[in-house]
Amino acid sequence: MVTTTQPRYEFRIFGNNLKKYENIINKLSEKEITREMDSIYLLTPWKRKNNVKIREGVMDIKILEQELDGLEQWNPFLVGKFPLKADVIKSVVFPTLGIESPVFERKKYSLDQFINEVVCIDPDLAVAYVWKIRHAYTVNECITEIAEIKVNGASIKTICVESEDPAKVLEAKKILNMGSKMENVNYPLALKRVMGLTKLPDYWNKIDF
Amino acid sequence: MSKEKLTIGEVSKPRFEFRTFGREFDVAAYLMSRLSVPVPRKVWERNSEEIYIVSKTNDVNNTKIRDGKMDIKTFVQEVDGLEQWNPLMKGEFPIKAETLKNNVFPAFKVEGLPTLDKSEYTLKEFLEMVSSHPDLQAVNVEKERYGYMVHDTICEYAVVHINGASVVTVNSESTEVEDIKETIKDMELEGVENINYLQAIKRVIGMIDKKLAN
Repeated sequence: MVTTTQPRYEFRIFGNNLKKYENIINKLSEKEITREMDSIYLLTPWKRKNNVKIREGVMDIKILEQELDGLEQWNPFLVGKFPLKADVIKSVVFPTLGIESPVFERKKYSLDQFINEVVCIDPDLAVAYVWKIRHAYTVNECITEIAEIKVNGASIKTICVESEDPAKVLEAKKILNMGSKMENVNYPLALKRVMGLTKLPDYWNKIDF
Repeated sequence: MSKEKLTIGEVSKPRFEFRTFGREFDVAAYLMSRLSVPVPRKVWERNSEEIYIVSKTNDVNNTKIRDGKMDIKTFVQEVDGLEQWNPLMKGEFPIKAETLKNNVFPAFKVEGLPTLDKSEYTLKEFLEMVSSHPDLQAVNVEKERYGYMVHDTICEYAVVHINGASVVTVNSESTEVEDIKETIKDMELEGVENINYLQAIKRVIGMIDKKLAN
């Protein structure tokens, strides 16, 4: 496994009505880049907070290192490109997901084989197909993102502020009027909520949330 | 035989339905609004909150709960790609254990009926039973519905939030198959997959690995 970047502290929200935050971001920063991408997230109903996804045939994992002042510090690793060795899936992917590894019938798995022969038949695993269009900005020297995503075809928006320096993220939150009581929701948690794998908080399901 | 005149918001014979879900149906929604006859003000815009109970092992019974009332519809037949659903059961919470045992859980077509040691159950208790069953899932659905009437069919464009994520849906329903087919043609929806609520919800929550219509 290869560490790809320094672990960053992150604050992320999801909703359908995030215009008031988008307006502030657009006032403070030019849009720097827009990227579209498809990802496949692997999810379990359990509480483990790791983030396991596949993008452009590459599996990448983010480990939740710590929570600090309502921020989450994520440490990203590249697991590798498909085809992936069964040994790697067994020793890296399943332990990260927090579930028992199955018996593997192949030595190597293509992405399709992994999804169809390993993931889809495992009752403890769910797959979310996520399309994203991500718009990058900078607020208070933090990487700031407004993204529209589709989870298995259904739309929701997300805004994220991240930096290696937690103080800068906390300051950016203040600048964006994101109060201290706002919930920090990472991707796996949001996807689990949309897919009904975990309980929804009351605020989540209101039409104007 | 003369056609039954449909009135929006009133009970009719079992209707056939075309419905589809996707990320946008702007053209169909525009055509629907232009082709529609005036409709009663009460159906111009309606919002509702519902809970659908979906089951891994069942695609023929559609169970939803709105305002503490449970409503189960069952699939009757498909004619020319249109689906006909009939009411199977209506109940209200608190609901009798006997009704859960004889009507509700059989409609889910799952194995492993929960132990029912009380005479009746509140909605919260029922949802706890659903949550602890491995093949059942309660899904929160909020709808913003805009009603129309095209070619004597009841039509709707709606923004639907499934566990907070949004999709849009358009539909046409009537007791008359030919009227729906004409409506589908005029809304430029020919060839678009007929996707009912149960299917759309299952696709979004990942219970069925299939895409929506667009």
